[in-house]
Amino acid sequence: MVGLSAGEKNFIRGGIEQDLRADGRQRQDFRPILIETGVIPQANGSARVRFGATDVIASVKAELGKPNPLQPGRGKVAIYVDCSPTAAPAFERGGGEELSTELSAALQKCLLGGKSGAGAGIDLSSLMVLEGKVCWDLYIDGLVVSSDGNLLDALAAAIKAALTNTGIPKVDVGVGASPDEQPEVNISDEEFLQFDTSAVPVIITLTKVGREYIVDATSDEESQMSSAVSVSVNSHGKVCGLIKRGGAGLDASVILDMVSAARHVSQKLIPLLDSEIDAAEAASLAGQGSDVDP
Amino acid sequence: MASPASYALRRHQQQRRRPLQDDNWVRSDGRGFHQCRPAFLRTGAARAASGSAYAEFGSTKVIVSVFGPRESKKAMKYSGIGRLNCNVNFATFSTATRGQESDHKDFSSMLHKALEGAVLLESFPKTTVDVFALVLESGGSDLPAVISCASLALADAGIMMYDLVASASVSCIGNSLIIDPAAEEEDCQDGSLTVAFMPSRREITQLTLTGEWSTGRIHEATELCLDACSKLGEIMRTCLKQAVSSST
Repeated sequence: MVGLSAGEKNFIRGGIEQDLRADGRQRQDFRPILIETGVIPQANGSARVRFGATDVIASVKAELGKPNPLQPGRGKVAIYVDCSPTAAPAFERGGGEELSTELSAALQKCLLGGKSGAGAGIDLSSLMVLEGKVCWDLYIDGLVVSSDGNLLDALAAAIKAALTNTGIPKVDVGVGASPDEQPEVNISDEEFLQFDTSAVPVIITLTKVGREYIVDATSDEESQMSSAVSVSVNSHGKVCGLIKRGGAGLDASVILDMVSAARHVSQKLIPLLDSEIDAAEAASLAGQGSDVDP
Repeated sequence: MASPASYALRRHQQQRRRPLQDDNWVRSDGRGFHQCRPAFLRTGAARAASGSAYAEFGSTKVIVSVFGPRESKKAMKYSGIGRLNCNVNFATFSTATRGQESDHKDFSSMLHKALEGAVLLESFPKTTVDVFALVLESGGSDLPAVISCASLALADAGIMMYDLVASASVSCIGNSLIIDPAAEEEDCQDGSLTVAFMPSRREITQLTLTGEWSTGRIHEATELCLDACSKLGEIMRTCLKQAVSSST
């Protein structure tokens, strides 16, 4: 936990009140965002995202599995977040478990939409291989390498980048299998399907300190928060998920005001992230050299 | 189409599509879209606890016990304010298919967040209050039922709170917003909004939303929830008053 003196606390609070934060940012400014993709060769897609000193990695692994009998036309996605003790000693031996569950649940809520699949950032029906028989199971794993606040936003950005980086092998289904048998499948090593990530939302956490709220809070600033609201917004400006995180109660009008503030911020953040991801993708392709050409 | 593996699955599949077919669908229990299920609340459900409550909203049945305040575990760091330890469990027989209850791992932390803004934690420093919730029958809107019932149990245990916490959820199916969804309605929802609210202070302690929403819809759904929470708050208050007057 952050140990701050009374003077430091006052400095942070006062700065936020005057719209000039300790690192020179304004209330609605993000820290510099750095994105690298294709950082984990073992995964189908991966990305590392840094917001200032916050450093997270997301990886996407695809495995063939059986669809849920209740939803035969859809693949499955599981999102897990791991908080490594290398990020903070408090995460050691199950200490990060509570935070991990909280982050995983929040990401699932924001990315997977309603139970019927409406409004999902990841289109589950595109993971279908053969209805009711074979589908892709996507395992999305987030890892917190270094933590300096705003983990949820960074993880969501990393997942978006990792999904853009993901190539799902093309699958040929053997014909002629009887309906009761599990059909034979052929996984191609050469042909990959790209994933459409234009619908994947970003998450913007607004942290309320005093009467004002800020985006992309550092852990020092988070320690001064009274409450926080994470809003997930897609490129159409629609809200795809909302979670109030801890702290004191809020008036309904304040929450609605925060939602509109988040939508406003997202109009700048989404194009910024998209261009960063494209740049990272171009760089990772160039870095692979000429011998590997997907 | 794969043939359903069990009776329980068939029941779900039949009802999943139905509401989407036309706009004039009727809810399975005949309620209006903006009508909550009748609530039945009782305090003092478990003898051994410092406070407890039982709540029934239609077929959703939950029981919450509150223990403590007790001394915090030695391994815990010193804390000038009290701790709230929340745990939500589903009885294995609470859902149609056994084993489905593991979908709700985040309920404990959601309950904690809904309550921590209401409880005066500084009134029991260095100690822990345990809140154990058990869902006996999962009939939809489980989390709101657990939150409302837990705040009632805390009040029964005499833990100081700023206000009772009442909670309600709204499901969005097609173009309609329906309040207090039953399990089969939750299964086919396009989005949902859950609010925990302190009616007298008019403060929201917890709010979660899934699915795709426009701002106008969020506004509408929040208003619906707040209205339902205020009404539920009254019922909870009456329940507490009755419990006190019958014991003296």
